[in-house]
Amino acid sequence: MTKNDVLLKLENVSRIYKMGQINVKALDNVSLEIMKGEFIVILGPSGSGKTTLLNLIGGMDSPTSGKIMSDGIETTALDEKGLTRYRRDHIGFVFQFFNLIPSLTARENIEFAAELVKDSRNVLETLQIVGLGDRGGHFPSELSGGEQQRVAIARAIVKDPPLLLCDEPTGDLDFDTGKHILSAMRKINQEGNKTILLVTHNTAIGDMADRVVRMRSGEIVEITENTSPIDPEDLRW
Amino acid sequence: MKMNKLERKLIRDLWSSKGLFIAVTIIIFLAVAFFGAMFMAYQNLNDSYDYSYEKLRFADFTVKVSQDALEAIDELEKIEGVETVTGRMNAEDIALTLPDTQTKKVSARVISLPSSDTARADVVNDVLVEEGNYFLNNEGLSLLVEKNFADHHELKPGQMVHLTLEEEDIGFGIAGIVASPEYIFPAESRQNFMPSSEVWGVVFVPEDIITLLKRPVNEFCFLIKDGADYDSIITEVETILDQYQVMDIVPREDQPSYTGLEMDLEQFATLAELFPLLFIIVGAMATYILLTRIVYNQRPQIGLMRATGYSRRQVMVHYLGFALFIGLVGSIAGIIVGHFLSEGITHFYASMINLPYTTMEIQWISIGGGIILGLLPCIISGIIPAFTASRILPAEAMRTPTPSAGRKLLIEKMFPFLTRLSSVWKIPLRNIFRNRRRSIYTAIGVTFGVSLILVSAIMIDSMVDLIDFQFNKIQRYDARVQFSEEQPASLVDEFAGWDGVEKAEPLLEIPVRLENGEKSYSTLLVALPSDTELRGIYSPSRERIAVSNEGIMLTEALSDTLDVDKGDTLTLWGSEQLEVVGFVKDPMGSFGYVSLELAQSMAGMDVISGMLLEVNPEYEDIIRDKAYKAGAASVELSSETKESVDKMMESGMVMLYIMLLFGATLALAIVFTTVTVNILERRREIATMRTLGESKGRIVAMITIENLLLGMVALIPGIVLGYVLAWYFFSLFQGDMFSMDLVVFPRTYVMTIGIVVLIMLISQVPGIRSINRLNLAQVTKEQAS
Repeated sequence: MTKNDVLLKLENVSRIYKMGQINVKALDNVSLEIMKGEFIVILGPSGSGKTTLLNLIGGMDSPTSGKIMSDGIETTALDEKGLTRYRRDHIGFVFQFFNLIPSLTARENIEFAAELVKDSRNVLETLQIVGLGDRGGHFPSELSGGEQQRVAIARAIVKDPPLLLCDEPTGDLDFDTGKHILSAMRKINQEGNKTILLVTHNTAIGDMADRVVRMRSGEIVEITENTSPIDPEDLRW
Repeated sequence: MKMNKLERKLIRDLWSSKGLFIAVTIIIFLAVAFFGAMFMAYQNLNDSYDYSYEKLRFADFTVKVSQDALEAIDELEKIEGVETVTGRMNAEDIALTLPDTQTKKVSARVISLPSSDTARADVVNDVLVEEGNYFLNNEGLSLLVEKNFADHHELKPGQMVHLTLEEEDIGFGIAGIVASPEYIFPAESRQNFMPSSEVWGVVFVPEDIITLLKRPVNEFCFLIKDGADYDSIITEVETILDQYQVMDIVPREDQPSYTGLEMDLEQFATLAELFPLLFIIVGAMATYILLTRIVYNQRPQIGLMRATGYSRRQVMVHYLGFALFIGLVGSIAGIIVGHFLSEGITHFYASMINLPYTTMEIQWISIGGGIILGLLPCIISGIIPAFTASRILPAEAMRTPTPSAGRKLLIEKMFPFLTRLSSVWKIPLRNIFRNRRRSIYTAIGVTFGVSLILVSAIMIDSMVDLIDFQFNKIQRYDARVQFSEEQPASLVDEFAGWDGVEKAEPLLEIPVRLENGEKSYSTLLVALPSDTELRGIYSPSRERIAVSNEGIMLTEALSDTLDVDKGDTLTLWGSEQLEVVGFVKDPMGSFGYVSLELAQSMAGMDVISGMLLEVNPEYEDIIRDKAYKAGAASVELSSETKESVDKMMESGMVMLYIMLLFGATLALAIVFTTVTVNILERRREIATMRTLGESKGRIVAMITIENLLLGMVALIPGIVLGYVLAWYFFSLFQGDMFSMDLVVFPRTYVMTIGIVVLIMLISQVPGIRSINRLNLAQVTKEQAS
């Protein structure tokens, strides 16, 4: 697998929400191609359509029009069951608020996802990848924000999906913790050869990406290629 | 078996909200336990009655004649469809002198039975010897004493009693104490449904001494074959016995003891069905409220599950698991406890009524029914929230939900001053309307709780009123003397002159058959002086009225039975005619009332059959002794009768207090659930208010006001529902033998309101405690939930 292979292709994708009498265009005719193994950062202000784009790619929402091809699957043609299977086998999500199950320990939260697929990664190894080998028995309430987000990352990668979708993963973290999380992601991207789409409004994070997609008012306004992405630990904001 | 993480999550979620789950599970548990206890007891008792009736060959019908009809027995046996028939002596009002006293007498019903054990093989209405032996041969005269009567007077085998026949005292040794299928419920007749064992009882004598007693074989007890034509058998029996003057034909369904037990059984069955039904509705509602709250609170988790790849079905099954847990734990625990309770109830009841045989089996139908009763409503009420959870779009679930719309209320527009209220009042008022569904559930829960408390309280009030009405208003006499034969009216003056007798009034009771066209009813015609003071006569609206000289007055139940109105004419004894001049209220029995003058003129004689006495309490025993010496067949002291009625009512009252407790527990469980959910759902809102500087006291005041307002709203429908339920229960017990007024004392309303307010205040304590422990910084940062 090389970065020249297309993993994800969006063609004229639009998403319109009805809010009472008004139609709100959350995404307007977006087309995009993402290569396997790329680290993409999607930047934009609040309400620009970043999260909507991520949700559509992840099969959490369906576009009003347009076509999405992901890992050879036309997700826009899938029914509810097909979308569930797609999310199960092809996508790993990381959210701003971690969304861990409070009643399960860190390890159990990871197993919670691992149980869904036949050939999952080893749960302990995955914990070690995110640097939490000794914290598996703790409940979310006993972990710091950074640790919780690491668990969330481990949960996303344990299924070994080709695509990780991260929605403001550092939004709820302090500067140092945020950088550590981004480092962990970069490592997973490089060593595990995972494609990562990271949504944020923090422009500084764009410096670590292979490509930066800028959005405004539901449209992609700019795509820039980063020939020399910097190490996340060197980011400043 | 390895538990998957969803199952583990389920168990831990249950644990983290254990208070709420326990509360809801208790509701289901109570419903199933109550159902199981009552329905299994009902089944056990029903089986026990059937078994007792079968073993002792309880008659399908009994015919009483006025002349000796022994010779008719062969012909009666030959009637097609008759399996077996027993002819016997049934002699009423025989004075029986109790052991160790020369004077204390009671009025006995003396019934003959085959003289030897061997001859009993086919006898209809056999007895079960509980103590001692069947008749003793070769040891002088012996008799058997019916168990209820024996227990009351502590009669034992070996003691001597005397029967007075033709003014001659004949001594009998008590051979045994027996249970009879005809007197399991010891009713004398449909008219005297609850006689006091103090003055009335049943004894059995061997049939070979009938001639000695100089009484006729005047009763036939029939068992008929399965599938036989009942009506044609009756017709044939009537034809054969016509020459002996048929007085009464009593089918099994009208036999007083049978009717009494059936009424009791019906009460069991109704309680077993109706009460748990209310609990189950409340339980289902509470499950729904709880599950809706869990789904709402776990939206982000649901979103995560769906985003991670869990299917809709998996999500739905997961959330349905909460309801299943409540249903399974509640119903299994309920049915186990119900089973043991039913055994206790069956034993208690069987021993209380001296049931000859008690059968106790595992009632699989009740067990299955109980589990379905507990499980099904939980599943049904869990399906909607579980389905909702499965339909939540993952992307949507991750978003902070839009707050529900707040707006000015209609009543605020109607009454503008409300808008000027302080926020302590305004916020609770708006909250009630903001989440209407939740408010409605809380109100329904309180409504049901109130109704359950009230229905039990109404039953208690009505019982208290019944006893007060019977013993303080109707039975104003202290002693009632009865003679086995009619006596001259002048005897009243003699009694009135005794020391300690402050007043004596004549009484004449004559057996009568009242007829109105096709409809007829056998009862007593009670004749009293029109100005009677010792026997209160009351109109149906409970106004004191006088006995009429112009015609007959009937109890309310008789007006229905005979289908008569005021002004209609009734036929008495087949020939005399009397106009119905009014109706009277009489809770115990159904009689016809006329003035003594009218009765005596119809009888053509100045006679009485008894007397009512007002007695100085110190002289009660002396007067009783004197009355027996003067030839009285029985002397009933109101104080003793009231004591035995009070004792009998005791067990019923215990039952009602248990019901009251159940009602209060239910109200507590439902209010606790809804109030706690209400509070927990607003953690963030409350935390925000606290950070703004609202004091804990004001927040508690807001919560209390909201809950109490909802409670107050629920009081009126709760009272109405309680009243309707009580009315329904009462309608089951109304009949010619027993009728009861539905009475609610004003203090009961105050008590019910007090209990409900108390319950509401207690049930918000855990919620308020959790508010006081809120970590403001953390909660205000949480995603809205």
